[in-house]
Amino acid sequence: MTLLPQKIADVIGIDSVFVDIFAAIIGAGLVGTLILIQSALAGPWAKRKITAAFTDRISVNKFGPLGVGIIIPDAVRLISKELIVPEGVDRPAWDIAPIILASSALLGFAVIPMGSLGPVNFQLADPEVGLVFVFAVASIASIALVMAGYASNNKYSFLGGLRAVAQNLAYEIPLIVVGISVVLFSGSLRTSEIVAAQQETLFELGPLAIPSWFAILNPFAFFLFLVANMAEVGRNPFDIPEAPTEIVAGHQTEYSSVYFVLLYLGEFVHIFLGGAIVATVFLGGPAGPVLPGLVWFLIKIWAMFLLTQWLRSAVPRVRIDQLIEIGWKGLLVLAFFNLFLTAGLVGVFAA
Amino acid sequence: MLGILKGMATTMKHALDGETFTVKYPEEEPEVSPRFRGVHKFSQERCIWCRQCENVCPNDTIQIVMDDKRNGEQYNLHIGQCIYCRLCEEVCPVDAILLTQNFEFVGDTKDELAYNKEQLKNVPWYKDIDPLESREPDRSAWVGEGDGEVDYQ
Amino acid sequence: MSLEQPQRPDVGVTPDGELNYDELAELLDGHVIDREQHENAEGFVIRPDEVSTVLQTLKQEAGFDHLSLVTSQEYQDRYESIYHLKKYKDPTQELSLVVPTTRDDPVSQSAASVFDTADWHEREAYDLVGIEYEDHPDLRRILLPETWQGHPLSKDYNQDQPQIVPLREHADPMEHRTEVPEEQDTMFINIGPHHPATHGVLHLKTVLDGEQVVDVDPDVGYLHRCEEQMCQQSTYRHQIMPYPDRWDYISAGMLNEWSYARAAEDLADVDVPDYAQIIRTMSAEMSRIAAHLLAVGTFALDIYGDFTAIFMYAITDREKVQNLLEDLSGQRLMFNYFRLGGVAWDLPEPRAEFFENVRSFCEYIPERLEEYHNLLTSNELFQSRVIDTGVLPTDVAKDYGATGPVARGSGVDYDLRRDDPYGYYDELEFDVITDDGCDNFSRAYVRLEEMRQSARIIEQCVDLLEDWPEDERDIQANVPRTLKPEPDTEVYRAVEGAKGELGIYIRSDGTDKPARFKIRSPSYCNLQTLEVMAEGEYVPDMVAALGSLDIVLGEVDR
Repeated sequence: MTLLPQKIADVIGIDSVFVDIFAAIIGAGLVGTLILIQSALAGPWAKRKITAAFTDRISVNKFGPLGVGIIIPDAVRLISKELIVPEGVDRPAWDIAPIILASSALLGFAVIPMGSLGPVNFQLADPEVGLVFVFAVASIASIALVMAGYASNNKYSFLGGLRAVAQNLAYEIPLIVVGISVVLFSGSLRTSEIVAAQQETLFELGPLAIPSWFAILNPFAFFLFLVANMAEVGRNPFDIPEAPTEIVAGHQTEYSSVYFVLLYLGEFVHIFLGGAIVATVFLGGPAGPVLPGLVWFLIKIWAMFLLTQWLRSAVPRVRIDQLIEIGWKGLLVLAFFNLFLTAGLVGVFAA
Repeated sequence: MLGILKGMATTMKHALDGETFTVKYPEEEPEVSPRFRGVHKFSQERCIWCRQCENVCPNDTIQIVMDDKRNGEQYNLHIGQCIYCRLCEEVCPVDAILLTQNFEFVGDTKDELAYNKEQLKNVPWYKDIDPLESREPDRSAWVGEGDGEVDYQ
Repeated sequence: MSLEQPQRPDVGVTPDGELNYDELAELLDGHVIDREQHENAEGFVIRPDEVSTVLQTLKQEAGFDHLSLVTSQEYQDRYESIYHLKKYKDPTQELSLVVPTTRDDPVSQSAASVFDTADWHEREAYDLVGIEYEDHPDLRRILLPETWQGHPLSKDYNQDQPQIVPLREHADPMEHRTEVPEEQDTMFINIGPHHPATHGVLHLKTVLDGEQVVDVDPDVGYLHRCEEQMCQQSTYRHQIMPYPDRWDYISAGMLNEWSYARAAEDLADVDVPDYAQIIRTMSAEMSRIAAHLLAVGTFALDIYGDFTAIFMYAITDREKVQNLLEDLSGQRLMFNYFRLGGVAWDLPEPRAEFFENVRSFCEYIPERLEEYHNLLTSNELFQSRVIDTGVLPTDVAKDYGATGPVARGSGVDYDLRRDDPYGYYDELEFDVITDDGCDNFSRAYVRLEEMRQSARIIEQCVDLLEDWPEDERDIQANVPRTLKPEPDTEVYRAVEGAKGELGIYIRSDGTDKPARFKIRSPSYCNLQTLEVMAEGEYVPDMVAALGSLDIVLGEVDR
């Protein structure tokens, strides 16, 4: 399948390196916009509606159908607020952190195969090391959190930053180790090939053809990955870098206005990136019957978003020491166990 | 693990049953108890200017001004300062001051909430509830005053 | 109650469980200068330099292990501190220690070496009245700012004196900001007064080692509204009653009103008709449910993170109680429903409908409790968060004068509804819930189960009220419109509030206003234990401990 920038370049029809660059920018803009629309829906509107449903409330319902119009006044409100720069912040770092956070999460979508809509295949790039790239980019966010925490000149932010590092260290490794077990199945780090490997029919259940999604092949790994992913994106029960009732808002405490929007946006994009990784690696990427691939892909990442909100409503936040313990003593061990198990299985079947 | 799933199932049950507890306030005015204590309503025709309400008020919310012949001139009540304890209504021997069910009052400044006699007379009933009617059965309960001296000022 | 202690009768107790004050005076052997009669107990007057000896003797040998309150006041010729002593196993056995000091040199020995709870009580006495306590570990102002001039409840206090102290005359908070000692492995952090988890304007001066709490010093007083003084300027008959609603404003108003009603009725010898007592009992238990619901909801908020569903469910259920209370009293929070000698209203008409509403609510509560147990206590992650954190051992709880769910969660079997019955409680059946866990979990569990008991009490009250003969529905005794109790009568009475023992001390001076009105706020005493609970714990556990204490700053600061 041709990638999105290639398709755009084909449409333009001139064979030149500048056109390729131009097409790449247009493609990136398209994908970025698509993701930002999801975040804009999620942040001011969907999150409110979902939380309201869990808590027996109605939530926004005045402006637009189901209150979806709240996005516009909310954006105006957030952006028009005063940007307060606290005394003693470490200026360049404090300014850069929100930008890194937002952009690093967006960057991850570059290699995610988002399926096709009609003739257009939404994938920007498909490098050899796609999966490694996604994991690498997604973990840049923790640097942004540390920067934000350290540069804010606030003790709560500082604690939040430290917690973010500890948490990311503890969960990045199990996450990647579980990811490797999938690579053993698919035999490639290329995201498109991981998706393609899940297309085959595993078995027939009456009229239903159950595909060989890795979530179905190896539910244990899927569970581990979900837990690690939840910690990676910092949601309940692992939202301890923010932990509003303990350290106010952690690294976000001192941010306001546009920077706050960027931080917040970064978090939502991050949740969606987490969802995209889960969808790509375990849920067959954009695969699904009837509807176009892109729609299936969006449904899957929204399902992950819904899961985070569901957990938020009912699962208590763990303590930092418990979190580290779960990460290093529990997940990491299980992740390696899973890796060896998978390697054994794959070896046996290959033989 | 089972406990966590049980908790998650509980919240999901709430999400799916579609019940909401939100009061759609400006569209639907809430039902309030007939005993609810809102803004005061004053009746000059009934008032005998005995000043008991002014006397009993715990935080000096009511101010009565009389001329030298003890005729009432002003009756001021700061509804922003009032703690809505209903003691003024309770001591009033002639039901000249009543607490209506009306809770919808606003003011841009504190001064706007200092009501004079005319404003107090014009306080609307909430949903046409006349609190006096609903309170009638209890009247006798506190009209009996006991043997103590009455402390007129 | 620990079982290790030998079960010998304490000195000064007659075989039928009454206090023998003569024997107690004998025990104190010469320390007692004079004996006073208070309405609730006898008062022994002792010398100001013998306080700790006398208290030690009473605690060790006579079994007075509960220092309920320290009242301080100023007379024309002297200052006086009164130590109100009780026993955890039988709070009807009371004794007051009266410690007069001269006006010129108001120095009295501190009781903090015997009872830890005396620490804050004496600081408050120093702050508001101006008595100085010798050997006190930390005699600072507690409710008022450090810079305050004068002691507001003393007789020569000048109200018109300006209280604005410029920053240059006070310690500059920015001064030490940049001075970091070279070798420093702890971090000082201010939690509050604006912080999501402090449940109001509480300020915790915390020293952290990493994430672990090394030291915590609660700084209260941000919400000090001179409630005691306001009551001293109001008449007994009507004007004081609206104010108790505003101490513990978490819809526990009925319970607070009852504390004042009980003290004032004992002071003025007012009898309350049974019918009114049942209505009081019912409404008070509704208040308790409402208060506990909020306590559980906010505790969940502290553990689960921002706006968990449990908080909203608790608020939704609390709304239902509030609707019932609104039908009954006309208000949702600030009820002002009790009157001296009864209540303000009879039950709302139509009565059958009201009874039906209350009954269906009582049946609904146990159902909901199942759900709260599903969401909270049976959740493994919740358990791992709260079990064995914020530990408050039984003896420490007693020493700090902890009461209410905090004490009961530490295994202290102490409930004034049962141990010192008032209202209609001695005719009703209910269990006192205790738990020996001594941790955050126990306190939350005790609250949840207490709601079930409260629902039981309400059901029994409804049964009684339904069958009450129509011509005997007296809701108020015949109380004079102006109450003037005998001069120099003193009374200290407590009720079981939502947070614990809520006591009122009143001294009358023959006018229609109290000469001294002192509130024993359970939250104030319970908050002292935070230091014990939090030390060595992680920040999240300190927050959880604070949530499990369920303090209301309106009541702490008064």
